Amino acid sequence: MTAKRQAITPADAKLDIPKTFALPYATGVKACEFIFLSGMIAVDPSTGERAHGSVVDETTLILRAMATVLEASGSSLAKVVKTTVWLHSMLELEDLDRAYQPFFASAPPARTVCGARINNGMKVQIDCIALA
Amino acid sequence: MPASNPMASAREILPPPAPGLDFAAGFGHPQSCAVRAGGLIFCSGMLAINPQTGEREHGTVTSETRRIFENLKLLLETAGSSLERIVQVHALIYDRVEYDVLNRVYRQYVPNAPPCRTVWSVQIEAGLKVQFDVIAAA
Repeated sequence: MTAKRQAITPADAKLDIPKTFALPYATGVKACEFIFLSGMIAVDPSTGERAHGSVVDETTLILRAMATVLEASGSSLAKVVKTTVWLHSMLELEDLDRAYQPFFASAPPARTVCGARINNGMKVQIDCIALA
Repeated sequence: MPASNPMASAREILPPPAPGLDFAAGFGHPQSCAVRAGGLIFCSGMLAINPQTGEREHGTVTSETRRIFENLKLLLETAGSSLERIVQVHALIYDRVEYDVLNRVYRQYVPNAPPCRTVWSVQIEAGLKVQFDVIAAA
């Protein structure tokens, strides 16, 4: 039996990062019981443009957008099972945690954080796997 | 699109298998040690941490990888899975130069039918050299 594989496209085009920047990947894909979201960066929800800011600012924008995209697909942050976070410097791990914690206040998902260079000088990138 | 899928499985937080692997209590990180959902186990990035004391065990790529596999073995076997049931590994190392060092110790723990793997080099928390991000069949 072949499982279905369905692209997740945000209803709000401003949150459709690959569409805004003409990049060859999906915002998300639903397959089996899961939704896989591509690495998200901070974008201004009113313009769709990159929103460079502090680690706290970028993390907050990303997780708000992630919640919106997941909820529009029948999932939610509470159904996230795993996140991967790329952070421009591990020296700012505490700032990441401070902004991240309120979005996952109880029973947080599994997580991996690593320090890496991110495209276009963004400070944070987060991807996730959630139950559909 | 239905708001909720009646076939959707539960999302179960797996408790840390040893006190030292409680990343929330030990390091204040807002993350669970592992989550089981949809027949899979998603593990948080595993580091060379003493499972009893929670102290970081900075060492070589070889010694850190050994400790990480021991921790994963404990975590997965406590949850009814095993190293043999790992599906995918993201192996993060501090410097690509040590790729071969990683491979020499890595193959000892997954000698047969090893899982999918992607390696990349990054800055790792607290100056550790290795971190594994693992998804296993439950």
